[in-house]
Amino acid sequence: MRNVRASQLIFELSKAGRRAAHLPHCDVPCRDVKELIGDEHRADAPPPLPEVAEPEIVRHFTNLSQLNMSVDTHFYPLGSCTMKHNPKRNERLASLPGIIDVHPCQPDATIQGLLQLLFELQVMLGEISGLPAVSLQPAAGAHGELAALMVAAACFRDRGERRTKVLAPDTAHGTNPASARMAGFDTVTVKSTPAGLVDLDDLRAKLDDQIGVFMITNPNTLGIFDGQVAKIAELVHARGGLIYLDGANMNAILGITRPGDFGADMMHYNPHKTFSGPHGGGGPGAGPICVTAALGEYLPVPVVRRDGDRYSLDFDRPRSIGRVRTFFGNVGVLVRAYCYLLTHGAEGLREASALALLNANYLLSRVRHILPVPQGDRCMHEFVASAAALKKERGVSAMDVAKRLLDYGFHSPTVYFPLTVPEAVMIEPTETESKETLDAFAEALFRITEEPADLLHEAPHTTPVSRPDEVQAARRTILKWTPC
Amino acid sequence: MGKPEELLYSETHEWVCVEQVDGAKVATVGITAFAIEQLTDLVYMELPEVGSQVTTGGEFGEVESVKAVSPLYSPVDGEVVAVNSELPDRLETLGQDPYGAGWLVRVRLSDEQSLAKLMNFAAYQKQCADEAH
Amino acid sequence: MGYTFHTSEDQRIMLEAVGANSLDDLIEQIPPEIRLQRPLDLPPARGELELTQHLENLARKNIGAGSAVCFLGGGSYDHFVPAVVDALASRGEFYTSYTPYQPEVSQGNLQVMFEYQTLICQLTGMDVSNASLYDGGTAAVEAVLLSMSVTKRSRKVVTVASVHPEYRQVIGTYFAHLDAELVTVPATAGVVSLEDLAAAVDDQTACVLLQQPNFFGCLEQVEAIAKIAHDRGALLVLAVDPVSLGLLKRPGDLGVDVVVAEGQSLGTPMSFGGPYLGIMACREPFLRRMPGRIAGQTVDRRGKRCWVLTLQTREQHIRREKATSNICTNQGLFALRAAIYLTAMGPQGLRETAELCLRKSRYALERVTGGERWKSAFGLPTFKEFVVRDRQCKVREALDEAVRAGILAGLPLGRWYPDLDDCLLVAVTEKRTKDEIDRWSDCLLGRRPTA
Repeated sequence: MRNVRASQLIFELSKAGRRAAHLPHCDVPCRDVKELIGDEHRADAPPPLPEVAEPEIVRHFTNLSQLNMSVDTHFYPLGSCTMKHNPKRNERLASLPGIIDVHPCQPDATIQGLLQLLFELQVMLGEISGLPAVSLQPAAGAHGELAALMVAAACFRDRGERRTKVLAPDTAHGTNPASARMAGFDTVTVKSTPAGLVDLDDLRAKLDDQIGVFMITNPNTLGIFDGQVAKIAELVHARGGLIYLDGANMNAILGITRPGDFGADMMHYNPHKTFSGPHGGGGPGAGPICVTAALGEYLPVPVVRRDGDRYSLDFDRPRSIGRVRTFFGNVGVLVRAYCYLLTHGAEGLREASALALLNANYLLSRVRHILPVPQGDRCMHEFVASAAALKKERGVSAMDVAKRLLDYGFHSPTVYFPLTVPEAVMIEPTETESKETLDAFAEALFRITEEPADLLHEAPHTTPVSRPDEVQAARRTILKWTPC
Repeated sequence: MGKPEELLYSETHEWVCVEQVDGAKVATVGITAFAIEQLTDLVYMELPEVGSQVTTGGEFGEVESVKAVSPLYSPVDGEVVAVNSELPDRLETLGQDPYGAGWLVRVRLSDEQSLAKLMNFAAYQKQCADEAH
Repeated sequence: MGYTFHTSEDQRIMLEAVGANSLDDLIEQIPPEIRLQRPLDLPPARGELELTQHLENLARKNIGAGSAVCFLGGGSYDHFVPAVVDALASRGEFYTSYTPYQPEVSQGNLQVMFEYQTLICQLTGMDVSNASLYDGGTAAVEAVLLSMSVTKRSRKVVTVASVHPEYRQVIGTYFAHLDAELVTVPATAGVVSLEDLAAAVDDQTACVLLQQPNFFGCLEQVEAIAKIAHDRGALLVLAVDPVSLGLLKRPGDLGVDVVVAEGQSLGTPMSFGGPYLGIMACREPFLRRMPGRIAGQTVDRRGKRCWVLTLQTREQHIRREKATSNICTNQGLFALRAAIYLTAMGPQGLRETAELCLRKSRYALERVTGGERWKSAFGLPTFKEFVVRDRQCKVREALDEAVRAGILAGLPLGRWYPDLDDCLLVAVTEKRTKDEIDRWSDCLLGRRPTA
């Protein structure tokens, strides 16, 4: 079935003289470009892009798309990524004229509808988080972390305090320490207990007057809600520090508990996860941040404000950390989030989270008989199983299991993360999957653990390619096509 | 360079061979066969420039496998006087001849105190045996 | 109103399997004292039809480029997007997948990344490209941070007032936390003077950040500036308009070290500022300091050519606080759009697009400066944008008048440059017809449209 010719590199399909786009003739005086742009700036020839016809472009990219697994085609239980259904209505509505064709620097009077939408989104995100001051500007979760840490730093500077440390648990996403460093902080890792919670003794030992921010993901990356969070906040606040909530796992708690109510001072959302994305093959995302009212004045500019029934962009915020990106934000993603929120309403959001918990717990109840789940028999929206025993007994690794699942038509869970669980298999089913799908996944997992080790080491067997040689890719890097 | 039995070792798996050159003590530093095996499939290495200063326990470079980065910690104090600049392009040499052609840097020692903290072959072997379990 | 499946029977069986009586039992993992004791205060749920009507109502309150004639630029442009871009990029297999962590089932995305990287290298003449960053402004920051890391000079960067003011603001925001200084050399003549620039660059300077064509649409002397930077051991980072490269010399052929760009021009709608595409490409020696995802070619176990994410040890999920950047996602969907766009254009299409932009913008400039009121602010060669000065100093009024005539006539520069408060930045893309340009100039000149 596969069209091998069409899925060659586009450069290999190129033939001099072919083209797809035909531009209109020039309806203004067609002056010689040499007269308009001097030789010192003008290239002799256009860049050596491929030359292909439109039918070939369509066939090429369509065939490439078919080499992907996606939420539209497969169950995609990639832990920590919340690969839920991407509603088609959101795609259509984000592409409406009047939204998609608006220039970022138009006068406020010409974009009242859009500003109203964005203002309402700010209010809704503030309500869901319990942190009323909102910036829609950051481009992704990691970018939101960075912006919020800059907000914290600006606040400390205003207070005349020198706080140099960001603390994060050992289960934290890698972006946490990386963002902390970019915001000028040193990072200190806090241990987790064997049950996967923050080790309070270790936290106490590491708390001092240098503490700036404690970054916590709650539920954490093991899928456990750390019930000590209010206590943690109390300890950190007592030292003058702030609590940052990494909102990667917000899908577990919408309408059930609010970060602002359990002690967080700042957080980011991942609307591409929690509010149905889509993930776009690795972006775009967005990373709106919410902070306490007291920290609001430090948020990036601009924010949307309302005066009566008029909306405007507010740039006049003297204590703002400034801009963190060009223009307003990833509006296309934000419009989709707005649509998602209006589709669900308060009750619907809470139900979506409750059903995400049900699906995860149901799958956990089936999987733990196949692969042990070290952190117990209850989870929030995801759980982390371990293939350590399988590896020890039969030499079959988490990677082998992940790869074999592809043959059964399931995308792999996240593997080898978090780092604290050996041979980790992190499974997040989301609420938009049926019982039948979850049963089929558990059944596949069970069958895989019964299969011969040799078969598993070589898996996958039915995918467009087998396991790539990553060592060769890194040693002899080939990062672009070159003509032979 | 020397037989493994005659070298000194750090806890962080570097080996050291000290020689007298033109009246100064110069230490050749490499990484041990045990470490190379643990790191698996090295793909990249970054070494310091000649003339840079290294201090005991400080990072002087790093090695990478596909999914891990490991810093190289200096077992001695002094100035780098030579670098095995061909090695990053021939990482297989590390596996083939870790105590010879796989050397990393030569350091003219500014201080010999750190040598006293290094292990002999037997002590290092015991450490490796402990780590393997 | 959500997107869930379970019948009440499903739900009963599943709850039983997990040993819970109700959904609320599952929530007991959260201590009661921090549970929300009321419903969230949100607007009521809407079905698809009501939602659609609501969004259409909101959208109608905006005047977009579809209903008005757009002469706005400054980093976001109303270029034509061929239908193949929308049709192919809206395939669910592309946009509902994620970062290709499992290469065996992500060859489509990985090959697109590899093709995108190649296309960007072809376009810019650089050695290597990453698979994209967030947008032009953050790409400029990342390029500056890369330069600091490569040169080991972490205290000073030199830029020019003719670089996009928002790029400079973003860098300023980042630098406030990194104890680094951003020195901005004026460009009062519309471009930077080589003498002024040379005086600002010293042996502590990590890089010079320049834009070509610059924010005013004028052309800088890139090659000479590269030499000034290199003479002091600094790098040259150049922000470019990718469409201009259909016509202008490629940065890689001018001694540029790192190229960044806002890739919106390449097939991405304006969408009120995002999501866009941050382009970044550099010379080979800096590869390991480059942030973001990178796809590389290799072979699978059967010896078949394939692609993987490579050089991942640069990234935050492995290197954590020592990573080259905290960036995690790229802008995969917009890199895909750019790849389709560049392929659909090809060398001839891109050149013709650039030539149309050039000729039309020159026509517009000459037409509007043909009257008494407006004059060219700098009188220098430009590409698709130019700055005109209002002798009557009534830029705001002129713009308001134009909006009433259905024309988004230009960007007032006073917001970013107080001394250019009487100036308008105008962008003319290949989409603007002679008729639209005539209407625009008539409007700015206060003439009645020639019907």
